[in-house]
Amino acid sequence: MPGRRIFGGEAMTDHATIDLEPAQIDEGGDDPWRSAQYSIPSNLTGTIIATAPLLALAACGSGDSGSTGTPPISPPPVVATPTSTQASRFLAQSSMGSSRADVDAVVSTGYDSWIANQLAMPRAITFWDWLMGAGYNNTTNINTENGYNSAVWRQLISGQDQLRQRVGMALLDFIVVGIDGLTTNWKAFAQAAFMDVLWDNAFGNYRDLMEKFTLIPAMGLWLTFLGNKKGNTAAGTQPDENFARELMQLFTLGLYKLNADGTQQLTGNSPVETYNQDDVSGLARVLTGFTFDSTNSTIPDRLRRPMTQVATDHETGASTFLGTTVPAGTDGFGGLKIALDAIFGHQNIAPFVSKQLIQHLVTSNPSAAYVGRVSAAFANNGSGVRGDMKAVIRAILMDPEARSDANISITTFGKLREPVMRLTNWARAFAVTSPSDTWAIGDTSSPLNRLAQSPGHSQSVFNFFRPGYTPPHTSIATQGLVAPEFQITNEPSVIAYINYMQSLIQSGTGDVRADYTSILTKASDSAALIDEINIVLAASELSAVTVATIRTAVDSIGTTTSALLSNRVYTAILLVMASPDYLAQK
Amino acid sequence: MMTSEQSRRAFLKRSSALGIVGAASPFVMNLAAIGEAAAATASDYKALVCIFLFGGNDYANTLPPYDTANYNAYFNNRTALAYLQPDLAATVLNPGTPLPGGRQFALAPALAPLLPIFNAGKMAVMLNVGTLVQPTTKAQYISKSVALPPKLFSHNDQQSYWQASSPEGASSGWGGRIGDLLQSGNGTATLTCINASGNAVFLSGRQAVQYAVGGTGPIPLAANATLFGSAAGSTALKLLMTSPPANVFGSEHSAVAKRSLDLYTKVSSALTGAPTLATGFPATNLGTQLKIIANLISVSSQLGAKRQVFFASIGGFDLHDSLAANEPGLLAGVAAALQSFYAATIELGVSNQVTSFTASDFGRTLLSNTDGADHGWGSMHFVVGGAVRGQQIYGAPPVFANNGPDDVGQGRLLPTMSVDQYAATMASWFGVSDTNMPTVLPNIPNYTTKNIGFI
Repeated sequence: MPGRRIFGGEAMTDHATIDLEPAQIDEGGDDPWRSAQYSIPSNLTGTIIATAPLLALAACGSGDSGSTGTPPISPPPVVATPTSTQASRFLAQSSMGSSRADVDAVVSTGYDSWIANQLAMPRAITFWDWLMGAGYNNTTNINTENGYNSAVWRQLISGQDQLRQRVGMALLDFIVVGIDGLTTNWKAFAQAAFMDVLWDNAFGNYRDLMEKFTLIPAMGLWLTFLGNKKGNTAAGTQPDENFARELMQLFTLGLYKLNADGTQQLTGNSPVETYNQDDVSGLARVLTGFTFDSTNSTIPDRLRRPMTQVATDHETGASTFLGTTVPAGTDGFGGLKIALDAIFGHQNIAPFVSKQLIQHLVTSNPSAAYVGRVSAAFANNGSGVRGDMKAVIRAILMDPEARSDANISITTFGKLREPVMRLTNWARAFAVTSPSDTWAIGDTSSPLNRLAQSPGHSQSVFNFFRPGYTPPHTSIATQGLVAPEFQITNEPSVIAYINYMQSLIQSGTGDVRADYTSILTKASDSAALIDEINIVLAASELSAVTVATIRTAVDSIGTTTSALLSNRVYTAILLVMASPDYLAQK
Repeated sequence: MMTSEQSRRAFLKRSSALGIVGAASPFVMNLAAIGEAAAATASDYKALVCIFLFGGNDYANTLPPYDTANYNAYFNNRTALAYLQPDLAATVLNPGTPLPGGRQFALAPALAPLLPIFNAGKMAVMLNVGTLVQPTTKAQYISKSVALPPKLFSHNDQQSYWQASSPEGASSGWGGRIGDLLQSGNGTATLTCINASGNAVFLSGRQAVQYAVGGTGPIPLAANATLFGSAAGSTALKLLMTSPPANVFGSEHSAVAKRSLDLYTKVSSALTGAPTLATGFPATNLGTQLKIIANLISVSSQLGAKRQVFFASIGGFDLHDSLAANEPGLLAGVAAALQSFYAATIELGVSNQVTSFTASDFGRTLLSNTDGADHGWGSMHFVVGGAVRGQQIYGAPPVFANNGPDDVGQGRLLPTMSVDQYAATMASWFGVSDTNMPTVLPNIPNYTTKNIGFI
């Protein structure tokens, strides 16, 4: 993997590029992936008003308690129809952003129906099919990333399947492949195929997801086990350990043994390592022999098909890791199944995956009880199925800790909004479209003039930020808390974000433009204007002081021309998005 | 003045943290203050520059052995990756004090631009440096009878341990802890620890704060004067950005924004007056970073800085694949940028006051995995600067082997020089007293040799 930077080897230089993509595309073509059926539990239909402490003791997936089987141990939570504010807050955790209509829809249907509808909603189109439909498989694109950014921004912003978009992004935050480090032609397609695995399986089973992200060629390229060969003593070579290590460390188990609630197991006072170097070397032996299923690189197709096996490159001696032995003579796919089953059966996977999803959707520092409840849903969806993502997602979003209004004022609750989601928050709130369907937002990773983050552009498998990151000598650190998104927050990035949003809010980029028709009707009334933006973007979490400050600024601008009215709208939106009250999602 | 006030507060805060303010011990306070004053009033300037090679730089192809016996061991253990011996002839190192036993090393051919600096006595080479808690033998490693750095071979944790003596989640690093001790001598305490490469725990102290810059310095706020035509809008924007709410995430974001806005004018105006360097820098990420660091050093007196710690980085060293193909280009990039940076310090007349050093997650295995190498431990590093006792190789030459006496398997070197010793040597030059060294490097008391003597 040449030139791939690992974890922060990022110069603060301006490397933003803008995709300028000419193709008009016709969004058509149904995705063949769409068999998901989901029966809708219906006993939770609104806001949980009370955060009854005994609910925390509910053993199994409180949010999913209605599906089947075990009756809830505790009484069902008090529920009510969500208010607009509550609905907006819910959508901040479960979507890429919300318009007033999205908020109203949740108010009207309640959380539960919204989740059920979203879980049942098929993808309109895959990233891959969109690229194909737009003609990016033309050979002029063979050595480019053309089309990739467009494909992703388009779905994130305009997709109706917003829960899938949000969960896909959460998965991409810890199951990481970055397009810029892929040493292949047809990079856009390679990355799109990987992203499709995450998006297609976001509501599937984690075991299936593991197998699919393992075998997709982009992962084989990124973590260098495509072409991995068994050891050869005579030549002094050994299997590549890259994927074996990161599969366990980052995608499934983590470094230390966990209790079901995500806390570390301790022996004496010391944590217990999940695996050691011998386990990594043992697993690396199993992950030998995988490669492309075709040598034809003139078209992108092989990049979407699972890797295949070259038997002569596969280690056929017995391999041992995590207390599991793949017997001598097992073939490549047989060994892979044993390995993935062993990892999927490990005690760590439920709390490890659950906690990270909570961190990306709801709060950086969930309580152990919250992790435990979600972890229980991962371990058993109520029907005896382990790894059911639908149950996990529902448990995360319907948990009292996520829904409690009281938590909004707990000063350590919530998370810094990811910069990418700030952009999509704006775009979805104000009806951003790209009439040419080219979505020319491009790569937003520059920390000097963009967002310091861009979907699928991580420079390393450690993502733009780590789940365990703590900004040093802050009150966050002294309280022993983490704040992952602060890893990409620094003196240049906080200014770049404002500068970039100022430009986007006013002018968009390319033909990506907002439609402010609706909000302009309130432009002359600063109180109404700010109130509306506050509800939609910030779930009414702006303090009275913040609102007053914004109002002073808006009222400094006249109302006599349409240009001035527009400036009042731009000002109100930017100031809301610049306020720490908004930046902390609560 | 605002700036001296910041420094005074930093000093008091630090003193308080050390428990030396108040009724307890005015005598101790006086002693500490004397040491502090020595640094604070020093008329000289010194800078330490960390160049972090993210991903874990391979040791064996960075500094291949050249003497026949060890070259052969190197070649036999990584045939697929090894340089041919004749290709190393032009970069063989001839240290002023030859290594015992006829041991010889060569720089990777791509590092050739650094050879004249070595030969001029301004670069020192470190053998087998890595993370340790205390001196550790292989027998102790195997029997786990001594404390080891946690999470060996894990990128993020070993990056953190190198920088902070603690795995991921560490709240301060040794560059920042040096800053804690010395920032009171600076006119603007916040400009003690400067990162040209984003965020790194290395530069955060217990009090010292990292300040990040871009390739041209700080970033201006576009709406600094007016926002959408309104001056009141600009005022409101800056007020909102910097006003801390109760929520800790919002509050910390406002603190970063405040630092950024407060320091913009000071730093950018100083840089506007910076001398134009005749020395050219490569137009690479690392070149850009080292250039802005050189520019900042050139205006250190305008910024009132006496002691500064900088951080720059380059990624891509995690070469599980294509190591032989790609490491040379990466090392060439390091060499070109470092050569320019050293030349710039000469041009600015500060070469004796600026010391640069390399660091990395870990070394890699000696054995190859067909065309790359996997995560290792100890590695080879370089220190460059006019104050360096150069043209010397420091540390113990390792045996090149698979599970030999100096590696823990597959040629993963068990370090014989700890990061603590490497760091303490530079910290001592920088002005950290022996007494204060454990506050910077908590494990340094575990070593008999606390100063390697390369500077």
